[in-house]
Amino acid sequence: MAQHSTNQPPQLGEIPKPNTAWIWKTFFVLVGITALEFVFVFVMDPGTLRNTIFIILTIFKAFFIVAEFMHLKHETKGLIWTILIPMGLLIWLLVALVSEGSYVGESIQNALN
Amino acid sequence: MATTSTTQTLSSPSTQEQPRTGTWDGGNEPFKASYGKLMMWFFLLSDAFTFAAFLTTYGLMRHRHLAYTGTNEAFEFSTAYWPIPDKVFNSFPGLHGVNLPLAFVALMTMILIFSSVTMVLAVEAGHRMDKKDVQKWLLWTILFGATFVSCQAWEWSHFIGGTEKGTLMVDGTRFFGANLQRNEYGPVLFADLFFFITGFHGTHVFSGICLLVWSFIATTNGTFEKRGHYEMVEKIGLYWHFVDLVWVFVFTFFYLV
Repeated sequence: MAQHSTNQPPQLGEIPKPNTAWIWKTFFVLVGITALEFVFVFVMDPGTLRNTIFIILTIFKAFFIVAEFMHLKHETKGLIWTILIPMGLLIWLLVALVSEGSYVGESIQNALN
Repeated sequence: MATTSTTQTLSSPSTQEQPRTGTWDGGNEPFKASYGKLMMWFFLLSDAFTFAAFLTTYGLMRHRHLAYTGTNEAFEFSTAYWPIPDKVFNSFPGLHGVNLPLAFVALMTMILIFSSVTMVLAVEAGHRMDKKDVQKWLLWTILFGATFVSCQAWEWSHFIGGTEKGTLMVDGTRFFGANLQRNEYGPVLFADLFFFITGFHGTHVFSGICLLVWSFIATTNGTFEKRGHYEMVEKIGLYWHFVDLVWVFVFTFFYLV
């Protein structure tokens, strides 16, 4: 066991060079979008337009995290749709319950007046 | 052989030791992903439903309450309407009394995004069987994750402690800070949802740190090197990125909108 007496791992010469350019590219995209969101918080008045911009930017960020970091872009089509279709159905839940909330609020205000 | 599997009626004992290769025999992999990775994806999908339910509840409750209609400068806390987030989350550790809207939560977001990057670097090092790099990036990820949880602890204690001014409640008393029954920032449910959504997310980050510490120990012991692959780091990485992903949505729907 002569080769084990040294502290270096036996396969040190075989380790390939890191390939990290795409990781840092994704990182700067994510940081850039987050910075952009902060710009919008302070330069725009709150409203439907600002919220729409926030939601679109959030979906962009989610795309980069899921597609690149979680590697979903490089999986098979079947796996991609298995994840995306159930998530897509949640959009309806969100729209339905948020508008339901407005109606509940209105009913309470009408009952109080 | 006495223990013949019922699903392998056509197999003779001599082929039992061979890997199953038939289409209906476990040999077909339509998703080209290992069992563990696939199950992690399905777990994350179910976890996404839970978080989506939380955030949808936030949307429902926010729209059920009145919205503040005045100007940003004239805003005051009241239980009559839903608060503006940048008026609630405007403090920074060590800078008492300075109005820094959303600055601290921006820092927390950066920390979590950066921990996602170090995690993906650990996974990349695992693909190259580079044990030293895996260890290095796992440690950085643990560090950033622990920093994020500590920041959240500070945020919670500040939220619970409240401001010096407090808010005059409906019953005539002045109330400071927040608990599950009442809070100085707005309707009761505002604080409840803050505790549940950020708390549930923080628990996820904490579980992630536990998994990372375990995988760091296993990497150091050479468990994955002997196994011939670092797929476990990859699976924990999927979980960690998911936690980051959830924070992206919590950040938008709780702090920005």
